[in-house]
Amino acid sequence: MTATGPKVKKLYALSSENKRFCFSQPLKHSIRIGKHDYEVKLKADDKYGTYILWKNRKYPVEIVRSRQNKYEILFNDISYTFTIETPFSMQRMKVLNASRGKNERETLKAPMPGKIIDVLVREGSTVLRGEPLVILEAMKMQNEILSPVNGQISRVLTKPNTNVMKDDMLIEIKVD
Amino acid sequence: MKIKRILIANRGEIAVRIIRTARKMKIETVAVKTSVEPVAMFLSDADIVYDNTEDNSEIPVFLNIERLIEIALETKCDAVHPGYGFLAENAYFAQKCIDNNINFIGPSPDAIYKMGNKTIARKIALSAGIPMAMGSEGNIANEEEAVAIADKIGYPVIIKAASGGGGRGMRIVRKPEEMEKMFIIASKEAEKAFNDPSVFIEKYIENPKHIEFQVLGDKKGNVIHLGERECSIQRKHQKLLEEAPSVALDDELRNTMGKIAVQIAKAVNYYSAGTVEFLLDSEKNFYFMEMNTRIQVEHPVTEAITGIDLIEQQIRTAAGEALKYRQEDIKLTGWAIECRINAEDVQSGFAPDPGKIEKLSLPLGSNIRVDTGVQAGSAIVPSYDSMIAKLIVKGKDRKDAIKNCKLALDKVWIKGTKTTLPFFRMLVRNQKFLNGTFTTAFIEKDLDKYYLNSEYEEMLAAWLATKLFIEENLMDNSISVDFENSREMSPWLLNKRINQF
Repeated sequence: MTATGPKVKKLYALSSENKRFCFSQPLKHSIRIGKHDYEVKLKADDKYGTYILWKNRKYPVEIVRSRQNKYEILFNDISYTFTIETPFSMQRMKVLNASRGKNERETLKAPMPGKIIDVLVREGSTVLRGEPLVILEAMKMQNEILSPVNGQISRVLTKPNTNVMKDDMLIEIKVD
Repeated sequence: MKIKRILIANRGEIAVRIIRTARKMKIETVAVKTSVEPVAMFLSDADIVYDNTEDNSEIPVFLNIERLIEIALETKCDAVHPGYGFLAENAYFAQKCIDNNINFIGPSPDAIYKMGNKTIARKIALSAGIPMAMGSEGNIANEEEAVAIADKIGYPVIIKAASGGGGRGMRIVRKPEEMEKMFIIASKEAEKAFNDPSVFIEKYIENPKHIEFQVLGDKKGNVIHLGERECSIQRKHQKLLEEAPSVALDDELRNTMGKIAVQIAKAVNYYSAGTVEFLLDSEKNFYFMEMNTRIQVEHPVTEAITGIDLIEQQIRTAAGEALKYRQEDIKLTGWAIECRINAEDVQSGFAPDPGKIEKLSLPLGSNIRVDTGVQAGSAIVPSYDSMIAKLIVKGKDRKDAIKNCKLALDKVWIKGTKTTLPFFRMLVRNQKFLNGTFTTAFIEKDLDKYYLNSEYEEMLAAWLATKLFIEENLMDNSISVDFENSREMSPWLLNKRINQF
C-alpha cells in the first residue's frame, strides 16, 4: 500500500499531568539535553527483560497497557500515562474540548483485587479531590480509595462485602 | 539441652534467614509446604520439607497451633522457631510447645502474655517506674469513660487495642465530639483483628520519633541491650525504613534508655531477643510504648552494627546457654539502613501490588546485605505480606551509609510488580531525611510526593510511548516497508484516528 495523505512530521506525548513532550517524526533514537544528543536504546534480554539503555544506565520498562493512542508505561518502577497526538489530532482535540465543556465523568476503578469493606459516599454526594470514597481490603490491609477529582458522585457501582477484581468499576464521578 | 532440629513455623524471608543461621550452627531445619505457596525459596533451603498441601483446614497452617505441634512431633523436631507475625507472640502456642517437650525459640509464655496485653504491660511498666505517656489505668468500658479520662489528661489522645500491634485498632482523637465514633471504630477493629475488643487510652505524643531498643536475655536472668533502632519512617504504623543507630540519641541518652529497656525486660523475667519501643519527643523526653516479644523484621540493622547474629542468640538462649556478652562488650560500629522493598504501588498510596516476580537482580557488596524469600519466577501472593526483599546497607557513618544506600537502590532490578523502590530513591535525596529531623509524621505531613520524579525519566517514558504509537499506527505492516522510508500516514489510519474523537 502506498501511503498518501498529510505527512506527520511531529508527534506530541501528553502526560496525565498535561506535560507535553514533542518528538520529530521519524523518531530519533536520541534525546537532546542541552547541547548533547544522548543515544536511547530499547533492548531486551533474559536477565533483565525489556529495558531502555540511556547514558550508560539500564532502566526497566514495561508497557502496562495501550489502547488507541493512550499508553501506560512503567519506567523505572513509576507508571506514566501518555496520549500521543499528531499536530492535526491535537488541533481537533482542542476544538472538541472547547465545545464539549467540562462535564466529564471520571470512573474510579479497583486498583487491585480485594474486598469492598465500605462505601463512604452515595449517589449525588459532592466530593473533593483526595477524599476517601471506598475502603478496599487486600493483603490484610485496608486501603482507602481516594477521589481523583472534585465533583459529584453520579453512580455507585459496588457495595460493601463485594469481592472485586482489578479494574472493576467502583464509582463514577461527574467532574466539576 | 542442645537443639538438633528446628521446625520453622513461618515462611518467606524470615524462614530463609532462620535456616541460614541454623545451618551455620549445624542444626537441621524443617519447613512446611502449603498449597498456597508450593514453590518457595525457604522450602528449597530447608533440610526437610513437610508436605502440608493436602491440609484443607480453614486456618492457614502457620496459624494452626494443633497442626504445627503435630508436624513438629511427627518430624521429630526438638524446637520451633516462630519467626515474626503469625504465632510469634502467641503465649498459648509457646505453652503448647513446652507441654509437648518442644523448645519454643522465644521468651516464656508468661512474658509473651504480659507484654502482649498492653494494659497489663502498662501496669508492669508503671510499677517499675518506667516513664510513660499518661493514660487510663486499665481498659475503658465505654465512650463516656473515654471522654472522662481524655478530659483529665488532655487532648489529643490515642485509643489503642489492648491486644493490639501493628497499628490496627488505633485511633487518634483530637476533640471530645469525635470520641464516640472513634471509640466504636477502634473497638470494632480490635475485635476483628485480635478477637478482643478491649481498648485503652493514652496521651497522644505529637510528632515523636519511634526509637526501639533491642534487648537480649538468657534463662539465667542476664539481660543486655544492643542499642537502638530508628524506625520513624513509617506509614500508617507500617515501618518502611529503619536505621541503627539513631541521630536523635547521644551516648548519655542511649545509656539511659537502654537501661530502662533492660529494666522492663527484667520485670517480666525476659529471655531471648525482644524489642522495647519508645516514643521520643522533640524535647528528648521518652515514653515506653510497648515490648515486642519476637525477632523483628528490622533486626538486621542491629546485627550490622553489633556484629551479633540475633537468631543464633535466640537459639542459644532457648537451649539454656548463658549470654556470652556483657553490656560493656557491646560496641556499636558504623551505621546501617534497611529499606523494605515491598510489592506496593507508591503512586496509589502504597496499595499492595501482588504478582509474579518476572525478573530479579539484587546488588552484592561488602557493605550490602539482602534478605529475601523470593527469586525470579516467585509469586507475591495476596494471602501473605507484600515483602519482596530487605536491602540492608552499611557505612562508616550515616552519610556514608546513605551514599551506599543510594547506589545500592539503583542496582535493585525487579520486574513484574510495582515496588517501594521509587519511594526510597526519593527518600535518600530528601533534605529532612538527610538531616535526620524527621518524625513519625514525616510521610503524612512532610511529603507531597511519595516517589522520585525525574524529568529525564519521564521524557524517556514519553519517547517510548511515542515509539510504540508509531509502530502500531504509522507503520504499514502489510508489506515490509522500512520505517525510515515510510513517513506518511495512510488515509485509512488517519481516518481511524479522527474517528476516535
